[in-house]
Amino acid sequence: MEHRISGKKASLFFKLRGVGMFARRILPIFFVWIGFLCCSPSLFADDDSESAGIEFFEKKIRPVLVEKCYNCHSNDAKTVQGGLLLEHRDQFLSGGDSGPVIDLKQPAESLMVESLKWESYEMPPDEKLSAEIIKDFEYWITIGAPWPKSDAAPVIKTNANYDWKKLQSEHWSFRQVAKVAIPKLSDSDWVQNEIDLFILQKLNEHSLTPAAPAKPHELVRRIYFDLIGLPPTPEQVESFTIGFKSNSALTVSELVNDLLESPHYGERWGRHWLDVARYSDGFGGFNDNRAMNDAWRYRDWVVEKLNSDLPFEEFLRTQIAGDLLKDFPDPIPTGFLALGPSYNSDGGDPDSVAQAKSETLDDRVDTLSRGLMGITASCSRCHDHKFDPIPQMDYYSLAGIFNNTSIHDAPLVPPEVVQQYNDFQKRINEKNKAIQKLNQLIKNEKRKATDDETKQLIALKAELEDLRSSSPAKFPTAHALRDSGSSNMKVAIRGNLRKSGSEAPRRFLRIIEGENPQPFTNGSGRLELANAIAKRNNPLTTRVFVNRVWRHHFGEGIVRTPSNFGKLGDVPTHPELLDWIAGRFWENGGSLKSLHRLIMTSATYQMSSDYDDSSFRIDGANQWLWRMNPRRLDVESWRDALLSVTGEIDLKLGGPPTENINSRRRTLYFKVSRGGDRFASDEFLRTFDFPMMRATVAQRPTSIVPQQFLFMLNSEFMSDRAKALADKLQGVSKAVPERILFAYRLLFGRLPTKKELNLGIRFTTMKPNSQSGENDAWRNYCQALLSSNEFLFIN
Amino acid sequence: MLHRNPFSAMSRREMIARMGAGFGSIGLASVLAQGDAHGNQPAASGNLRLSSNSATPLAPKAPHFAPTAKRVIQLFMPGGPSQVDTFDYKPSLEKNAGQRPQIVDRKTLRNTKNGLMPSPFKFKQYGETGKWVSDIFPHVAQEVDELCFVHSMHTDIPEHAGAILMYNLGHLQPSRPSLGSWLTYGLGSDNQNLPGFVAMSPRAQPRGKLANWGNAFLPGAYAGTYVNIASMRPDQILKDLKNSRLSHADQRSQADLLLQLNRMHLERQEKNQQLEAGIQAMEMAFRMQFAVPETFDLSKESKSTLAMYGTSEYAKGCLLARRMIERGVRCVQLSHSIDGYDIAWDTGHGDIKGGHAKLAKACDQGIAALIKDLRLRGLLDETLVIWGGEFGRAPTSEGKNGRDHDHYGFTVWMAGGGVKPGISYGATDEFGCSAVEKRVHVHDLHATILHCMGLDHEKLTYRYSGRDYRLTDVSGNVIRDILV
Repeated sequence: MEHRISGKKASLFFKLRGVGMFARRILPIFFVWIGFLCCSPSLFADDDSESAGIEFFEKKIRPVLVEKCYNCHSNDAKTVQGGLLLEHRDQFLSGGDSGPVIDLKQPAESLMVESLKWESYEMPPDEKLSAEIIKDFEYWITIGAPWPKSDAAPVIKTNANYDWKKLQSEHWSFRQVAKVAIPKLSDSDWVQNEIDLFILQKLNEHSLTPAAPAKPHELVRRIYFDLIGLPPTPEQVESFTIGFKSNSALTVSELVNDLLESPHYGERWGRHWLDVARYSDGFGGFNDNRAMNDAWRYRDWVVEKLNSDLPFEEFLRTQIAGDLLKDFPDPIPTGFLALGPSYNSDGGDPDSVAQAKSETLDDRVDTLSRGLMGITASCSRCHDHKFDPIPQMDYYSLAGIFNNTSIHDAPLVPPEVVQQYNDFQKRINEKNKAIQKLNQLIKNEKRKATDDETKQLIALKAELEDLRSSSPAKFPTAHALRDSGSSNMKVAIRGNLRKSGSEAPRRFLRIIEGENPQPFTNGSGRLELANAIAKRNNPLTTRVFVNRVWRHHFGEGIVRTPSNFGKLGDVPTHPELLDWIAGRFWENGGSLKSLHRLIMTSATYQMSSDYDDSSFRIDGANQWLWRMNPRRLDVESWRDALLSVTGEIDLKLGGPPTENINSRRRTLYFKVSRGGDRFASDEFLRTFDFPMMRATVAQRPTSIVPQQFLFMLNSEFMSDRAKALADKLQGVSKAVPERILFAYRLLFGRLPTKKELNLGIRFTTMKPNSQSGENDAWRNYCQALLSSNEFLFIN
Repeated sequence: MLHRNPFSAMSRREMIARMGAGFGSIGLASVLAQGDAHGNQPAASGNLRLSSNSATPLAPKAPHFAPTAKRVIQLFMPGGPSQVDTFDYKPSLEKNAGQRPQIVDRKTLRNTKNGLMPSPFKFKQYGETGKWVSDIFPHVAQEVDELCFVHSMHTDIPEHAGAILMYNLGHLQPSRPSLGSWLTYGLGSDNQNLPGFVAMSPRAQPRGKLANWGNAFLPGAYAGTYVNIASMRPDQILKDLKNSRLSHADQRSQADLLLQLNRMHLERQEKNQQLEAGIQAMEMAFRMQFAVPETFDLSKESKSTLAMYGTSEYAKGCLLARRMIERGVRCVQLSHSIDGYDIAWDTGHGDIKGGHAKLAKACDQGIAALIKDLRLRGLLDETLVIWGGEFGRAPTSEGKNGRDHDHYGFTVWMAGGGVKPGISYGATDEFGCSAVEKRVHVHDLHATILHCMGLDHEKLTYRYSGRDYRLTDVSGNVIRDILV
């Protein structure tokens, strides 16, 4: 806390507004202004409650401070002049080397006013401000120097001494994961496992009751989409329903176990991870347009490792430093970082080169810190983090590791094979050169080749052909990281790599490690970094991960800002539950599959998503989980479901991607450009909220735009699926109602209502306006069913 | 008249009544009110005043304060037009030709060391304001009394890609939302049947492509829709705009079926805003199919209007821009390009005379016609037009007849929407090299544009990656002196 608007200092300010004690304590919570503009949250309350004084400050004073004073009197100043900072109100009161700069009792006599008038100091030194502006300052001091700031989001004092022990204990996410006692509640029939006890406790506290269990046909659809991203067949729905009625718990756990063994599980959960990894096939556009043709190897690695349930610790370690592992080095997983943007400059202008490098390093720091640990270390690129205890030095401690890391195409074969290939290439080159040399000689001498030369050429060409045909094929490679140095970076003043500050030793974040982290000395330090991130007592990594998993099962996380666990992020709705799950996760050896089992066998997960008016009034956002959140399918599951119900889907696993949106392969295998504008597949994906893969993705938005419906109504893809479905229905039965019944079971896992049935009958038997056969009415009907919200949403 | 419908109009009304105050009903209500699904009336009557909700991202939103402009047309000149050969007249160049005074001895991209090169073009004074304009812009010259010149622009780097992104995104890398995306994010759009932000260019997209109209981390609804005006085919404007299989009536029946299905689904899922928004978006999609081709159909323009604009591809873009603005599109970005070159004005390196004359000729008449046309239709007052490139060109020569990039000083002009007409603001030095008087950074220009649109550039923020982002990042001052 730096400043509290209270007591005499602010009394004038509040008299001005005529508000009382309540406002004095509450209003500042809204009027948060932190330091410089860059990271300022827009937490301003609406205009009505904003005071005239604050408004005056914002309009007349702050712009002048920023423009005229902060070059020398802010934390962003190269050198702070006179020991005076003017970024917070109390800094005006405590002053710099020459004492306080404002005097609230005698405003006109304030050092600030004198300096602006060039009566004592001459400020700003290069040009005196207008008389009008100086009057504004005098007035501002007269009304108590109002400043919009409060205790609500305490500012880390920059350049201050961080008390790491204290900071580690102050904010929930920096504390060690706690051993939590399971809530003791009087027996409830509803409870199926420990999760439910934590949930029920909060529901009770808020006078809420859990929704009824989901209907079997809804639950089975939910489980299928959640685990493998594909819909159940009508037969699967039926057998689940029968089993569920006799023993629901057993039936659910059996199904969950079965699906976890499906190879399609890795495809589904791999995609979630690829969002964190901002995975793309390259092509980031100008200044970052490289193709990443081997990117898919990393994607397949992720799928495979999720299928084999690689312990979480190893899953992370290998992605950061797989190439450096002693026993089984593997370059492929390092695609996690290697596939990110690598900017360059198009003209070699030094500022631009530095900017490009700095932006590239930022991608690595951002992906690691936000993606894996839920902290926004990127904010510390230009200055100490304004909210979280991440000094600028710590940013460059991490960036320095990647400053010593480069990207290359790593061979995936033994060195001998590479050597053999390279030898052949060398000899091919030599032959080529020899041919060129001879031709050039003949050309230079402006004559025809002699017989001898012709013979020589023929022989050379034959040898060349020979070499070419006997050369082994190019060996496979992967985009990977490798160490390229072992030196520290210097802090870049205001993020400008051309302006160096003090050296930043390569080491881990002090908010995790405490005052003196062990410096990283092994090469770039990447392996040491990997260990520091993945280790069990890093409180951020585990919480962030289990929260992401929870989010994919419930639509919202226990922490609703999945990539920001810092002060500006949300706090957990169920902190004890989060810690309990994190603890259980490690007890199970970091097994993701165990985590799914735990979550999905809870009564909480199995609730229906039915609306309830009284619960909605208490908790409209459903943060206490009185029901399951209804969710829209992501684009991959939706498209895969379309191809599944028509029976057309090609379930082949892995391999290079395709840009053909009419491909029958799963959507995971679409080509994605980082710039989002390269492939037809990009365009399709983006229409349905596939995010830009420029930076690690916290959560996908669900926007609803007309273009989505243009696709549903008009695209060739939808029309083809409609035809395939219509053909399928024709084969089922000649009777119209039976076809409709079949369609509802196939698409929605349920029978149609009488109304829906009649609607279908009327539509499919209605005479179409255009000249077309029976099939067309069915095709139009099928297209509408496939485009319907019920198909797009899971309950 | 209601279109043919397998269900009675009664049932539709009933449905609306049942859906109560949910905003899904508003979209339908407006469809019914319009009577026909061809509802593609221009902005004034086609407005849908919707509650602002993240699920209907393009619904009109209230600005922070009363705006002086409602819409923006950005005439973007990628490659960097030379200020001293267009609108920043410097007679001193003639007198000091060949010399290299200290004030122009600054590092440029290719770091040329040559002396001053006078403009190969003649300058004359125009209008009541007596503004000096080069011969290569004879039509625009006729409109100078409407224009507000800012001669003291400067930017960060002398490289195209970065400077272009700075000009359109306020950032040197393609990782931020574009100006138009910020505008539609802040204000929505006044026409729900057309995209809220359209980017156009003939043949070549400006360097940086998508990023120049991209939404970056803003929701996808705020991405600009790109149109290549060389082709003008509506089905290329928006993907899947046309249904190749069904007649309009059949398609309407199908849409109604889908509406019924979704309504029944919604009845089981009360209070699901996403579902309600979906119903509305589907109706919009249906109307778009007709509104978009109509907008692009220039055959409805009068002969005199067509003649006023002329026949160049860029002029066609100018006319389209007016038609879009008229229909309530929030922002149109029209980039110049000839010969398929993505940084057209960069032909200035080797040959200012030939290169710039050709480029100016290709856009001069269309731009002047746009200003005039907007004025005649009473649209100029509420439309802010901005002309300019990512940087300027040095007054010294590169090679014999060219000019290297100059990011120290360049000119943009604005017109309409709350800027003072017929003024020149700020100045470069005696030779036009660097902005020296009332300097204006690109961030300041952005802050000013947002201000005209009723948006406070410091308050128009989006929380992403743990911080609040702005178009102007940590900078930007509104240039108050040029505002009416």
